[in-house]
Amino acid sequence: MTRQPEPEPEPGPASLGRRLLVLLLAPLAVLLIAGLLFDYISSVGPVRGAFDRTLGDAALVVAAYLRPGSLEKIPGELPPEVSATLRGTEGRALRLAVRDGTGKLLAGEQDLPLPPAGFTTRSRPNPAFADTLLAGDPARVVWYALALGSGPTTITVAESTRGRDRPAREFLTVTMFVDVLQLIAILLLVILAVRRGLKPLLALRDQLAARSASELEPLDERSVPVEVRTLVASLNALFARMRATAEAQQKFVADAAHQMRTPLAGIQAQLELLERDPQAAPVRDRIHAVGEGIRRLAHAAHQLLTLARADSAATLERDFRTVDLRQLIEETVTAQLDRALAKHIDLGAEAEPTTVTGIDWLLRELLNNLVDNALNYTPPGGAVTLRCGSSAGAAFLEVEDDGPGIAETERPMITERFRRAAGTAGIGTGLGLAIVSDIARVHAASLSLDAGAAGRGTRARIEFPPRTDPNG
Amino acid sequence: MRILIVEDDELVADALKRGLAQAGFAVDRVGTAEQADEALARDEFDLAVVDIGLPRTDGLALVRRLRHAGNDLPVLIITARDALADRVDALDLGADDYMTKPFELPEVAARCRALIRRTRSATSAQLTIGAVALDLASRTVQLHGHALDVTRREWSILECLALDTGRVVGKERLLRAIAGWDEELTPNAVEVYVSRLRAKLGDAVAIHTVRGLGYRLDDPAA
Repeated sequence: MTRQPEPEPEPGPASLGRRLLVLLLAPLAVLLIAGLLFDYISSVGPVRGAFDRTLGDAALVVAAYLRPGSLEKIPGELPPEVSATLRGTEGRALRLAVRDGTGKLLAGEQDLPLPPAGFTTRSRPNPAFADTLLAGDPARVVWYALALGSGPTTITVAESTRGRDRPAREFLTVTMFVDVLQLIAILLLVILAVRRGLKPLLALRDQLAARSASELEPLDERSVPVEVRTLVASLNALFARMRATAEAQQKFVADAAHQMRTPLAGIQAQLELLERDPQAAPVRDRIHAVGEGIRRLAHAAHQLLTLARADSAATLERDFRTVDLRQLIEETVTAQLDRALAKHIDLGAEAEPTTVTGIDWLLRELLNNLVDNALNYTPPGGAVTLRCGSSAGAAFLEVEDDGPGIAETERPMITERFRRAAGTAGIGTGLGLAIVSDIARVHAASLSLDAGAAGRGTRARIEFPPRTDPNG
Repeated sequence: MRILIVEDDELVADALKRGLAQAGFAVDRVGTAEQADEALARDEFDLAVVDIGLPRTDGLALVRRLRHAGNDLPVLIITARDALADRVDALDLGADDYMTKPFELPEVAARCRALIRRTRSATSAQLTIGAVALDLASRTVQLHGHALDVTRREWSILECLALDTGRVVGKERLLRAIAGWDEELTPNAVEVYVSRLRAKLGDAVAIHTVRGLGYRLDDPAA
């Protein structure tokens, strides 16, 4: 059987889980990045302060050493403590310039930046710090104003900040690393939590997906989360409606069958009597023809009603019971024996004890239709054999004849034809095989048509799904 | 042999009445279960043909009432319904056979005859199928009024088949009927005895082989 391709999933709010993840993870990521920035800023401030204090201390040490007359020694013969200070830490040499009030260099290096205009001992803050550039490199500079004997003097100490970034970067790297680990941990926790949180919903989904079309029993409302209880209640209401519809249809079809069969039986039996009536001898052929027409009508009505009932039966799980296939075969052979004898066809059975779970009267119709076909198409002297048994744990039902058979090239076409036959109304074989196919479908069984033994005739085989019950 | 038809549809009832009368039965017909009660109280019948779908009290209720009252009149149910449940109900309630509409009149007659024969064989030792008459007590057979010589095993098989005229009798059952305690018989033995019986009975009755299932003895009048 060919199946319709699965429709593409609709784009849109597909997954509740994905939605939850996005809603949780996006703000969390923003928060974490903000935290990272805060860490950076709050850690860089104190580091800068520490560096500035060192720089300021150096200026004060130099200031403490300065006497009028000692200026020319700079930076040559400084006392050891001043030299140590100016050597700086980690090989970053401090650079020094001492200027008078007019900005004239008294000692040290010329290229250090000048203090801001009007920077005196009264200026606040003193010492004053600023970022600057030294020969193109970023640097930090401190100016300290003091009154020396010769007049206002400023000490400028500058330090390249090039090396300074390294500890800050190291600090930042460690923080970032920890933060990213934290982010990953949170991400995993959120995913796990969302999965776990949605578990009852997924269980409900699986439960629904595993249902067959005929399982219309209500779902247990107590076992589902409060949030979807209303949804489940609505589903249960829908199931109940579908069940009621199927039952109503069953009843309608049964009533319709009753209403049609009784008058048909009357007409058919009356025509039988008329045909035998000596007075009707001149019109016997016509009565016979009418009788045959009534038989065909009765058969068609029966077939259509069977189709209708098979369809609605598919939605009523409760009709499924254990069916003895061997007994079914015996009954079918018994019922069809007179027809077979009249046509000189050897109707027989090869039945192993076999049971399936199914709808007894539907399987009886299935077998009757297959035997009908076989008897119709097998010439006198032929044989029709009914079989049942199991192979590989799956029960099967077979009707084989040694009639003309169906050409291999035509078999797929016939399959197609009887798939459409229900709609195109071919009373006879077309509808018969449509019924067989429908009933097989109701039982989740497969129908195959092949050549019989030795490549002759036709073998119709119904294979039931394997029984899960080992005792079955 | 007298038959009571309980059927409310005029056309069907009329056809049944005529058809069964032509087959040699004396036939009375009523349209409701209540009338059936009256008729059964008034007269003796050999069989009732009962439609399930009667007005007011349905046919199944009628059968239940009959059996409840200890009446074992054979009942053939005829119905327009074909669901298994009805069939099982009907037979469980004590109906003896079940047919669905539409039906062929000769088959109705054959079933009636078979039911009556089966009931009678329980009370009388005589069993007649066409030109063959079996005396179950003396275990003798008459063909066209003349004694027919059959062996003990041939008799057992013929008795089995005759008691279930028109029905398929399993090969295993026939084998059990002819096998003694100390004898080992193959299913082939059944075939041998059946073919000897066929030769002796000629075309008075037909014993059909139902391949894979067993044999069926047919009443030629059916």
